[in-house]
Amino acid sequence: MNMKIDWRQHFGLREAGVYYALLILLGVLAAIAHARGLPNYLTAQNLGNIAYQSSLVGIMGVAMTVMLITGAFDLSVASVAALAAAVLVGLAPQIGFPLAAFAALITAAAIGLLNGAIVQFIGINAFIVTLGTLTAVRGLVLVLTDGRSLMVERADTLAQMLAFESVRVPLFWPVVAITVALFALGVLRRSALQLLSACTLFALGLLAGPGFAVAAPVVYLAIFTAIVWAVLRFTVVGRRIYAVGGNAEAARLSGINVHAYKLGAFVLSSVAAGFAGILFGCRLGAINPTALQGSELTVIAAAILGGTSLFGGAGNVVKTVAGALLLFTLTNGFNVLNLGASYQGLIEGVVVIAAAAIYTVGGERRRARRPIVDTAPDAPPIAEAGMGAGA
Amino acid sequence: MVEAPLLTLAGVEKTWPNGTVALRGVDMVVRPGRVHGLLGANGAGKSTLIKILAGALPASGGTINWCGQAALWTTPRAARAAGIATLYQHIPLVPTLNAADNILLEQRGGLRRDAAARRRAAAVVALLGDPFGLDEIVGELPIGTRQMVAIAQALIGDPALVIMDEPTAALAGHERETVYQTIRQLAAAGRAVLFVSHFLDEILALTDEVTILRDGRALLHAETATLDEAAIAAAIAGRSVTALTRSSAARTPSPPLLEVRDLCSPGRLATTSLSIGAGEIVGVAGTLGSGRSELLHAIFGADPAASGDVRLAGRRVALFTDEAVAAGIALVPEDRVAQGFVPTMTIAENIALSQRRFLLDRTCEAEAARAAIARLAIRADGPDAMVSELSGGNAQKVVLAKWLTPTTRVLLLDEPTAGIDIGARIDILRTVRCLADEGLAVLLVSSEFEELLAIADRILVLRDGAVIAEIADPADLDEAALIQLASGASARTGVAA
Repeated sequence: MNMKIDWRQHFGLREAGVYYALLILLGVLAAIAHARGLPNYLTAQNLGNIAYQSSLVGIMGVAMTVMLITGAFDLSVASVAALAAAVLVGLAPQIGFPLAAFAALITAAAIGLLNGAIVQFIGINAFIVTLGTLTAVRGLVLVLTDGRSLMVERADTLAQMLAFESVRVPLFWPVVAITVALFALGVLRRSALQLLSACTLFALGLLAGPGFAVAAPVVYLAIFTAIVWAVLRFTVVGRRIYAVGGNAEAARLSGINVHAYKLGAFVLSSVAAGFAGILFGCRLGAINPTALQGSELTVIAAAILGGTSLFGGAGNVVKTVAGALLLFTLTNGFNVLNLGASYQGLIEGVVVIAAAAIYTVGGERRRARRPIVDTAPDAPPIAEAGMGAGA
Repeated sequence: MVEAPLLTLAGVEKTWPNGTVALRGVDMVVRPGRVHGLLGANGAGKSTLIKILAGALPASGGTINWCGQAALWTTPRAARAAGIATLYQHIPLVPTLNAADNILLEQRGGLRRDAAARRRAAAVVALLGDPFGLDEIVGELPIGTRQMVAIAQALIGDPALVIMDEPTAALAGHERETVYQTIRQLAAAGRAVLFVSHFLDEILALTDEVTILRDGRALLHAETATLDEAAIAAAIAGRSVTALTRSSAARTPSPPLLEVRDLCSPGRLATTSLSIGAGEIVGVAGTLGSGRSELLHAIFGADPAASGDVRLAGRRVALFTDEAVAAGIALVPEDRVAQGFVPTMTIAENIALSQRRFLLDRTCEAEAARAAIARLAIRADGPDAMVSELSGGNAQKVVLAKWLTPTTRVLLLDEPTAGIDIGARIDILRTVRCLADEGLAVLLVSSEFEELLAIADRILVLRDGAVIAEIADPADLDEAALIQLASGASARTGVAA
């Protein structure tokens, strides 16, 4: 009975809009490249590049999505990432790469804990608190680096860092393995959707060819996204995250420790930012105090493109990653096709607003289309909404 | 020497677009210089009637005569311009503005600092006895004084009729007294006051005449002097009692399952002790603001300020919500929209919200949801329907269904039937009775006293945050007596005639 697919639920504009946008954009860019006589745009290598460029924002975006689902907000991610990179680059020559990376993550987690504690226990709005830490942590980076660029000069440490970030991972066989697993699952559960996605994935794998490899951050992003997606989708913890954002009071009165979940989201967001910072530091083996400045807004834009609600209770990490890919495809397209970088910001902004409009309008339509289930509803107004308990 | 009526209602009806009838033809006459009490049980149509008079809702039928002419206002602004000022129970003031700005909020004109307007505001406030300064920020005033600001806001337009919807429900004794004095002043100045209250002693002490609504009709109209509390209570009650029958089998006293000792919360709940046996339903009777919800929240650990000793089957339960749920205590909160369910989730997900496992099991959850839909007769498409699309009664059933798990041993129900239709109400009460018979301990708060009398094994009467009476055998009591006990003067102080 699972063979029946609710096409609208899976492929409606609101549900899958970000994927359509991504595909359309790729198609348009490919057409432009073709018309101008440029080399093929849709090569595996170029797509791998886009994924590589989006990986840092993607990692932060996945955590930001969890944050937004719980109903909070984190503006400080880019600063935290820069701080983690500074800690890594500063400490790696002395204590080695693994320990320095660990220290960077701990630093990031501490800032997340601080953010969360101020928001939850003092009760200041997350926007204000993280706006403060955005500035303060950036200042801390300036203090730590003394305003100059730091570099790792020990060759062996540098090699370790580069290996962590720049190693290329062949994807063909993993893709085949995932395809087989998905196919088996699809057959087992008689899910046409899973069979379909298995076939799509396999076709993409074949098109990319056996030699296809991507840089390590793409794999990190994929793994992180898969884990968070699975937690949100399959565990009680995931549902509680949605419940905390959907109605915190109802969650609390259902015996859910709302404080712990909200605090956890802040720590996750900061740790993810710290990890992105580590990747950034490894990429160059150096850190500039203004590194990543402004990318917190790209992160939030990616989450919004993915349909995450700013009011909490709704969001999907895979769509956030698609949102990040969409933004970086725009950037990449403008650069590769030389379309005039001046228009880039304008187009990006319009895309974000258009996406938000589609989600909002689509949401209203959907609500209007569904019939009211009850045939004899009671009238809330005479229930004396205000007096409720009256009588 | 009866003056010409100010406001005459004849056969005013209100039918909601979905077919629910709120008012079935109300006749009422309000005269200048008199305080007119409007009473009725929850759902009798008081609020709808007030909203129609205030211009916030259009009537579906009947005529309203204002000063001898047919009243045709369709917006609150038009009603105010005609001379009707309405004070809603939840005071709609802007807490960040000062008193003068709030009082003058409705006035038109260009300048914010208009000296003439300010003088008028000052005159109105002086009339009330200067309870606050014009430059005080409203959010910093105590709740009683805020009520005075709202009254001043109503009076600035020089209305002929002031409608007050439970103006004293949130106030302490001496603050109530100030409101009473103001109301008498208004009447003495020749204005009419339409006064809604649940407190019978207030009605008796303050009003000149009374209209009692029941099921959308004006059931009784009389001079207050000819009535006493018992007569009013009988008129308010007397609705066709639900088809519930008390199980006649004599209950064998069981050992207490839930024991509460010295539970208190400063400012909300006086030190309270109680115990409930397995299979017992203990009703809590009390009016709005009597500390009913506060009692349940304190037991559930949802009140961080509460302290005391809650034991379940002899084992102490820490006062945190997650500890309470783990121990088997469940709360169905009063405000289901704000506290009961997560609107972005389906029925199945909401029902599974309190689960404490690691992995989700959707098949099992859908099964549980289907069982709950069948057991509670929830009208929905299926387990995947969104709770936000259900009607109030069905949403309430979902909130209750959340706790129908084997681990639940104590059920705290806060107004589980408020604002829902009679069919859903009976479904819910039957389920509660059934659950108690299966061995749960139930603490049931309800404003519908007939419900308490119908299913509770014992009733605690709560007033001003303290238990003032315990009724061991509700079968011997009638609803009017309970209304009198919970809202009558016999237990109430601070009301002076």
